[in-house]
Amino acid sequence: MKKKVLALLLATGVVASMLAACGGSGDTGAAPAADATATADADAADDADEGAGSGEVTNFTMFITMPGSEINDDNEIAQMIADKWGVKVKETWLTGQTASEATGTLIAGGEYPDFIDSDEMNLLVDADALVALDDYIDQYPEFRDKWFTKEEWDKFRQPDGHIYWINPFGNTKGETKQTTHNDEAFWVQVRVLEWAGYPEIKTMDQYFDLLEKYIAENPTMEDGTENIAYTILCEDWRYFCLENAGQFLAGYPNDGSVIVNKSTMTIEDYNTSEDTIQYFKKLNEEYNKGFVDPESFTQTYDEYIAKLSTGRVLGMVDQWWDFAYTVNDSFKQSGLDLKGCNYVPLGLTTKEGMENRWHTYDDTVNQASGIAITTDCQDVDKAFKFLVDCAMDQELHDLRWWGVKGVDYDVDADGLYFRTPEQRQNWADTSYQAKHRCQYSYFPQWHGTSDDGKNANKPEEQPSEFMSDMAEPLKKCFDAYGHTTYPQFIGSVQETNGPWFPMYSFSNNFTTETPGGVAWAKMGECKHEWLPKVVMAKDFDKGWGEYMAAYEACKPEDFIKEMQDILDTFK
Amino acid sequence: MIRLTDSRLERGNTIMNETVNKEYKVRKPISDKVFSVIVVVFLAAFVIITLYPVINTVALSFNDGIDAVRGGIHLWPRKFSMKNYKTVMEMQNIWTGAKITVGRTVIATLTSLFANALLAFVVSRKRFLFKSQLSLFWVITMYVNGGMIPVFLLYKNLGLTGTFHVYWIPGMISAFNMLVMRTYMEGIPESLEESAQLDGAGYWTIFKDIISPLCKPMYATVALFIAVWQWNSWFDAMLYNRMKTEYTTLQYELMKLLSSVMQQSGSAENAKNGAATITPITIRAATTIVTMLPIVCLYPFLQRYFITGLTIGGVKE
Amino acid sequence: MARTKTENRPKIKMSGKELRRQKFLLVVSFFMVAYGVVFYYWPLTGWLMAFQNYKPKKGLLGSKFVGLDKFKFLFEDDVFIKVIRNTFAMGLINLVTTTIMAVLFAIILNEVRRVWIKKPIQTISYLPHFLSWIVVTGILHTSLSSSGIVNEILLKTGLINQAINFFAHPKYFWAIVAFAQNWKETGWNAIIYLAAITAIDPSLYEAASIDGADRLQKIRYITLPGIKPTFLILLLMNVGNVLNAGFEIQYLLGNGLVQSVSQTIDIYVLKWGISQNDYSLGTAAGLFKSAVSILFIVIANEIAKRYSEQRLF
Repeated sequence: MKKKVLALLLATGVVASMLAACGGSGDTGAAPAADATATADADAADDADEGAGSGEVTNFTMFITMPGSEINDDNEIAQMIADKWGVKVKETWLTGQTASEATGTLIAGGEYPDFIDSDEMNLLVDADALVALDDYIDQYPEFRDKWFTKEEWDKFRQPDGHIYWINPFGNTKGETKQTTHNDEAFWVQVRVLEWAGYPEIKTMDQYFDLLEKYIAENPTMEDGTENIAYTILCEDWRYFCLENAGQFLAGYPNDGSVIVNKSTMTIEDYNTSEDTIQYFKKLNEEYNKGFVDPESFTQTYDEYIAKLSTGRVLGMVDQWWDFAYTVNDSFKQSGLDLKGCNYVPLGLTTKEGMENRWHTYDDTVNQASGIAITTDCQDVDKAFKFLVDCAMDQELHDLRWWGVKGVDYDVDADGLYFRTPEQRQNWADTSYQAKHRCQYSYFPQWHGTSDDGKNANKPEEQPSEFMSDMAEPLKKCFDAYGHTTYPQFIGSVQETNGPWFPMYSFSNNFTTETPGGVAWAKMGECKHEWLPKVVMAKDFDKGWGEYMAAYEACKPEDFIKEMQDILDTFK
Repeated sequence: MIRLTDSRLERGNTIMNETVNKEYKVRKPISDKVFSVIVVVFLAAFVIITLYPVINTVALSFNDGIDAVRGGIHLWPRKFSMKNYKTVMEMQNIWTGAKITVGRTVIATLTSLFANALLAFVVSRKRFLFKSQLSLFWVITMYVNGGMIPVFLLYKNLGLTGTFHVYWIPGMISAFNMLVMRTYMEGIPESLEESAQLDGAGYWTIFKDIISPLCKPMYATVALFIAVWQWNSWFDAMLYNRMKTEYTTLQYELMKLLSSVMQQSGSAENAKNGAATITPITIRAATTIVTMLPIVCLYPFLQRYFITGLTIGGVKE
Repeated sequence: MARTKTENRPKIKMSGKELRRQKFLLVVSFFMVAYGVVFYYWPLTGWLMAFQNYKPKKGLLGSKFVGLDKFKFLFEDDVFIKVIRNTFAMGLINLVTTTIMAVLFAIILNEVRRVWIKKPIQTISYLPHFLSWIVVTGILHTSLSSSGIVNEILLKTGLINQAINFFAHPKYFWAIVAFAQNWKETGWNAIIYLAAITAIDPSLYEAASIDGADRLQKIRYITLPGIKPTFLILLLMNVGNVLNAGFEIQYLLGNGLVQSVSQTIDIYVLKWGISQNDYSLGTAAGLFKSAVSILFIVIANEIAKRYSEQRLF
């Protein structure tokens, strides 16, 4: 009996399947394109029906070629935004593919979301997938003038003269509120500085000297965990923690892939510079003395964060965003912040008395990527208006970044926004974010000061937020040096970068279709393998020599030449 | 316990059953005792090593998120918390994903098992004129693939993208499963088929009433393969139904969380702007457990078809 | 005993009568071939990309032909040759070790008479199959770190006097990958052998016991021959997969210091494809892999045909 039932089930399954298959191919065989448009139309119909009567909510889709967290469809703030601004955006993020694969399938399929932010914008332009935004931009002169300068807009112009995308990041409105140094630095724990009586540390030699002395006297933490003087994160793309300190130590800003010598307007290769050699020589020396964590070059990002979170690492090079949020939270929970485990940045150079440019004060506009509207979007006017609203409407901006007043933050008597610890915790909680928080994080956004002239556009830049978070030892350290913000520890030169800055936005777009692109890819490969070897070498000069031989074989001159060609366009 | 010392008793015992089989052990040679020890040691070591990652994941899933960042959690949570499971259960798409995943697993297992079995039946008929050619035709499919874009275009033109059908129609026949079944079917004596044919049975009847009942252990195995494959699939959901939340799958939801860790192209620019998030390790663990639990439970049910090892599986000639 | 071996029988000739007799088989075959052509063979038009500079917008018909440029690019790069070596080596090591472990585990488990022990062990053994590589490699990384459990044991037992940094030396890498592969998949791979063992006639064991065979002998003369067909078929199939040594595991376990041994073809293609949206390069590498795979299985199939009755086609 059982058997028969099973056989029957199987048979029905197959018959059903065949019918379905035939049905499926039947429709579409007739008109595959029609089918596609039908679905698109259906979506659009939803949109249009509602959009027709203004004030109705239009649903847009967006695809971002970065991993990210989706928010719920009934997200509360998204709903509030929809009610007031008439737009709801369904964001989808990259999963398990590369940006170029994802973009490639979109193009091959010929169906696009309404908004897109891809690392492969050029491909989309080639495929006529994007709407030229120039006319729309001109419809909003206030936005046009405030968001970018004319020169900046021009950087976004494609060979055909049109602008197709807008970079949503890195723009400051009003007075800068930056209190953290969100970039790269040599970091050191405040307990080390306290122990040494808050000395001025200006050079790499002084830095390592300090770490060595501290660890000689304090080999372990209070609980007996062994201290580690210095560790290096070297996993995959995060190997910048090892790779590019040379440009900073020589006193240059973060052009990323090369150094720009402003006086001669030439591109220089920092990989072979004297400062870089000194830097690696120092690391090699420290490694052989046993002060560099032997797991440096094999640890994963998770292991690195775990290591920092135990508070045993005295110093490292890293970008603030790469470690600070997780590690500081962990310190707070375990009480290690009270033991002086927090990090402050140092603006080191190779020699004393040099200027440093670790901290960039002006905005960094990356013209290589941004948000775009696709040709599949049924209501470009409304889509673009929302994009402008995101940038120009302070209320919307506050809702995205601060949340709901009285729920996610409160306002004190002076009109300053502040958050209770509980509110701060909610804001960082994964499930709360899905239900409540809606940042539309790839839409235009501001740093700096809000239109009210008091508050910061983003909570992490709000001075009160910043101060309330500080544990006693950290505060003491700030006081001892007389600093009120992190960038003051660095003491960078304040100057405006050239219009080419940052050069990495060009090299990131190199393809292996040019010799320079091939060289760039090979150089990366070579450095990944050799830089750790150089640091671990018993004989530095020999190791460096071997590295240089391998490096020269990548033909870095091809790369430098193409970068120079780009720089020359700014002459 | 009766000690069977008389060998005549043993020989007389022709009915094979487990109880009796156990009794044989009493008289086993020394080498068997050594062998038993080796078996026990091997299996014990194996279980410990295999169980470790699973227990570790369970422990992490019950641990507080911020605390877990410090590492050092092995077999037991350090700071107990149910928060991770709460977060996972509150994920909006998890129930839709569960529904779709169960649906595709059931439908695809039934259809695919049937289709593969039928094909295996055909190519395992020794009389069949094109058995070698048909086998080759399918063997080749295991090693060639045109790439993501042509496949995408094909499915799109067939109207499969944006539908549920994309989950079970394209992968219905897999050469691997087919060949495994073929091998098993070839082990079934031809005499059965021939005598049935003499009785006037057609190929369909032979497949349904003679071969299939004998292939239960292999059917169970292949069904498990297909079911697990279906359960774990997410790439198709991502590629063909990215914008259709109603067709999301459980594993796709998990991968969304996991892939934030494995960024193949790191973009410092985006990370710096706070736009790239990393899912806490504990939530990854909880999601892993939630998605694997149901399918793991399927196994014990199928196990009975092939684990006992003492049921009459083969057929005496 | 009836005729059981094909060889003893005259080959069946194609004739109208025979075709009619096999009508059912032919009809099923027709549908199966149609299905295969649509879902597996039609997308192979994508191989054209390997000879083009494919641009998604222009499509297969519109992209520029560049002949063998992509293959030249691959084979003129010293790194690619090294990458083939790595892929092949890891594929082969994995094939051999996973096969041995699966068979070994299945046989040993089969020797356990008590079902209440056997069933739980088997269920446990296949659990790791459900953990993703990210989770498994994460645990492996922690266990093998200098303060991890492996080094701790080695230090305590006095086998070494200084912690080994396993991931810093190329010489350990392939072994670690093989271990991870077996760790995750042994129980899973064994299922198919356990199913094959059920097909063995129990009376054979019975007879052997009566003849005084010990358990090892029973394994050797009954169990092993019993699973031989399955073993051979799986081996044949997997020989073709040697170049599919993987991507995720090497990507997750690798680092700069070991990249000379860790990079596989898939990683290489991703690295070069990613910077230039080069679908063509990936297709060229895929075509190369397919060609090698098919060559391998044809050879293996011939060998199998000569020495046993098993064959893939």
